[in-house]
Amino acid sequence: MSTKGTHIPDWLTVPFAGITPAPSQEKGQDLFPTGNWRSIRPVYRDKLPPCNNACGTNEKIQGYLDLVKRGKYLDAYALIKEDMPFPSVTGRVCYHPCEQACNRGQYDEAISIRAVERFLGDLGQALARDVVKPGKPNGKKVAVVGSGPAGHSAAYQLARLGYKVTILEKSPKAGGLNRGGIPDWVLPQHVLDREIERLVELGVTIKTNVEVGKDVTWNDLKQNYDACVLAVGLTEPNSVRAEGENKDGVLYGLPFLRDIGMGTSKVRLGARVAVIGGGNTAIDCAREALRQGAVEVTMITVESNPQEMPCVPEDLHDMLEEGVELLHGRAMTAVLGNGRVEALQLYPARFSGAINASPITVNREAPAERFAVDNVIIAVGQHASLTWLPKECKNERGTIKVDRFGRLGDTNFFAAGDIVQLGSGQPLMVVNAVGDGKRVAFNLDKVLRGEPLEPRKVPVDVIMDLNRMNMTYFPHFPRVRQAMLPPVRRRKTQEEVIQPFTEEQAVEEASRCFSCGTCNACDNCYLVCPEPCIVRSARSNGLYKILVNYCKGCRVCIEECPTGCLEGVPELDFDTGVVRMDTAFAISPGLHGRQAQEMLNLGSRPAKEI
Amino acid sequence: MATTVTSSTKKKTVRMNGCVASAQAAKYADVDVITAYPIRPYTATMMALAQMVANGELDAEYIVADSEHSQLSIAHGASSSGARVFTGSSGVGVQFAYELYSPISGSRMPVQMMIADRTLDPPGDFGSEHTDALSTRDMGWLMGWACDAQEAFDNHLMAYRIGEDPRVLLPQMVCQDGFFVSHITTDVELPDPGQVKEFLPPYKHPYPLDPRHPVSHGPQIMPEQGPPLQLERARAMEGSMAVIEQVHDEFAQIFGRKYDPWVEEFMTDGAEVVFFMQGGHAVTARFAIQHMRDEGVKVGLVRLRTIRPYPTDRVNQVLSKFKVVGVIETNMGLGSVSSGGSLYAEACAALYESPQHPLVISFMAGMGGEAIVLKEFYWMTKKMTEAQRRGKIEKRTHWVGFEE
Repeated sequence: MSTKGTHIPDWLTVPFAGITPAPSQEKGQDLFPTGNWRSIRPVYRDKLPPCNNACGTNEKIQGYLDLVKRGKYLDAYALIKEDMPFPSVTGRVCYHPCEQACNRGQYDEAISIRAVERFLGDLGQALARDVVKPGKPNGKKVAVVGSGPAGHSAAYQLARLGYKVTILEKSPKAGGLNRGGIPDWVLPQHVLDREIERLVELGVTIKTNVEVGKDVTWNDLKQNYDACVLAVGLTEPNSVRAEGENKDGVLYGLPFLRDIGMGTSKVRLGARVAVIGGGNTAIDCAREALRQGAVEVTMITVESNPQEMPCVPEDLHDMLEEGVELLHGRAMTAVLGNGRVEALQLYPARFSGAINASPITVNREAPAERFAVDNVIIAVGQHASLTWLPKECKNERGTIKVDRFGRLGDTNFFAAGDIVQLGSGQPLMVVNAVGDGKRVAFNLDKVLRGEPLEPRKVPVDVIMDLNRMNMTYFPHFPRVRQAMLPPVRRRKTQEEVIQPFTEEQAVEEASRCFSCGTCNACDNCYLVCPEPCIVRSARSNGLYKILVNYCKGCRVCIEECPTGCLEGVPELDFDTGVVRMDTAFAISPGLHGRQAQEMLNLGSRPAKEI
Repeated sequence: MATTVTSSTKKKTVRMNGCVASAQAAKYADVDVITAYPIRPYTATMMALAQMVANGELDAEYIVADSEHSQLSIAHGASSSGARVFTGSSGVGVQFAYELYSPISGSRMPVQMMIADRTLDPPGDFGSEHTDALSTRDMGWLMGWACDAQEAFDNHLMAYRIGEDPRVLLPQMVCQDGFFVSHITTDVELPDPGQVKEFLPPYKHPYPLDPRHPVSHGPQIMPEQGPPLQLERARAMEGSMAVIEQVHDEFAQIFGRKYDPWVEEFMTDGAEVVFFMQGGHAVTARFAIQHMRDEGVKVGLVRLRTIRPYPTDRVNQVLSKFKVVGVIETNMGLGSVSSGGSLYAEACAALYESPQHPLVISFMAGMGGEAIVLKEFYWMTKKMTEAQRRGKIEKRTHWVGFEE
């Protein structure tokens, strides 16, 4: 009998056939502490999804898509409201930089994020009481000048921080560019009204028909408030400096839309209308002109083709569908007519520089064209009107001089929105203004509490890239499209052009989200771990745990993580947890540990003893 | 040798081949899970069992796997959950499942596997040769050959009883020659189910997989934790020898058929030369030996019934009585000790400590499924008697049928 006389020492005694409590059970890992085989440790680290990063106000887009996917609409709405006061508005008007950044766009089609946002915004509109509550009052008063996207956002965040906020608005109705710059058929007035009601419910006082410089002075702002946010926007339309711009029938883009939005428009358009400009306001003007009775609308741009136009491509597409004509590579040099516009004088033209904000070169040697119209709408941008602002607060472009935190010097005055974004290279878009307002509100709060200001830091490597994810888990699936009114119908009505998602559509579209770089509790790691090294108390981000005493570092979970939130970190980067095998000989409880102890002692013993 | 006692009314004698006898044994053992994948010649066993399950004769899960590897994996899992498992294979099918043999015995799961031998490829020879099962002989499975359908039936029942004994808990390969046993029809006595119930209690693993009481089977361990587990598996294999003897005794008491658990001795009284072999060719050998005894040749037969655990002391004691031992291999051991088969080494190792030191010759016979005919037994006997007369062997290995 060869096994006769054999003896297994106590410290090597193992249970029958190595059958032990599962490592996930209490003391289950104690017997086989194989964690020290590992050189790479799996670590859950959520990255920044590219949509969140691209959003002008950094909405937690992946987060609310995930909640919509699970049917938790109210939680999703609450999450979006952290960064965005009016998702029902941006859900309609946003130029959705998130969708351009969406990793899914490189795979099949980007997620229709804006449509899901609108679904949540409309859900919020229908609530009897909003989920957002004002902060604990801190006794401080802040004035916000202007109730456009930036002002609204700043007032909203400040109210949530506990400030007593008063909005001063020079128009008869609050809303700023949201009301005056966006037509009804994109954003119905009642939707905006409801969002402004929500702001009032938060305790914000809105004073309309109050104009700074006329009804309130700079010194009043200084004396009556602890701080002030200037979000006055760009209110004065730019001229194209053509001869005869003062003739009857010549209109300017923003005032044209604003008067219609405020209900004070007295304009009656003729049959033939030209729009000068190639941006988003020009597109809105052209489409609005159709709805105001124009029959033939032509958009005249210096840009030589549609791709160069500084506008949202989808809106351009919808405009062309409605029947607006494009005339490229022309500049208007004169408005012809006897007291009233009858025709436009056009010359071939191009931008002198690479971008369309550069000076225009007009080829006057070419023959002039005469373009017959009844009205012309000039929509080539706008500029500030800041007569009331002290001179030292203005910069060379005529807008407000601020530091990178939106602060005017070391005062308690801040500025946000178009009035400071101008020329920064950022598109002048609603969501950027909202983000501006939010950041300025938090900066203002820090200043009043005496804390230092720090810029937002996003190391580039944590914005999740498509090729760091496991695409095996994502079947190709087409984008859910929003229904639209047919072009023939919509060009004559103020009805909303783009139709909302149904609940099923919203869930289906949200389910397409990759959750780039972020744990969405898919349970894949939990299931693929060849040993039960991964445990969780519930299926939820943050509740997954790696049993580091047992995990051997096979990296299957890392490779098979669909979203890439699991990553491998070299064990040497840790100074806690288990000791690595190559350094572990002194600590392992097994045979190696004993040998190592002896080997450690060898050095101090004379050679003869060994 | 088996003797028949007909005391119970529920006993019946039925004519069947070895494959069906194995299927009947599985039925009498009331197995819970059967995992199948077809390969000749053992397929007939699974065909018979499929019929039994289909017509309600046997209540068992019948799982058709997608390969022998899966077949054994399923068997492993099923056994881990506490089921009595029956599986089987032949030839290269046995080889394809090789990965599973050590894990199954290492986790101490008493899976039973029926082997109807088949020559290994290539070419695609479907005749019997023991190399398929013998190549797995050191993987921790109990292993032995039957020489007829009745013995196969009995071995299956005894193997379950031995393997499932809490002192053993090891898997078993119950082997029979392809065609010579598996496809030749003989009378098989099927016992009274009550006898089987008395002999074979239900299987109970001490730590079955159960979601209510999670346990970890086959975890990764530290290197120093390997040797104690190997030592325990070795202890179980050695410890099974006492259980095997006890079970054979009890089997004889209940069923009336008495087998020597290790070796069958046939006409060894006064014999000077003996054949040492396993499996179905022993039936022909018995005829040849009787005939030669009539002619006055002092020849006998020692048939090994259990090769794992290997009864070293018993083989030593038995074979030491003779002058010459002729090992009939029926298996390939290319480049082995004798350059013939692997059974030679097993016989010689057992005899190494013998003071008598009989001469040992290896005969490559019964290869590729070829029958060993009477005149070949005479030829081999002649080689043994010549060696006895000369006092030394001519050479270690003879290829029977290829030499003068």
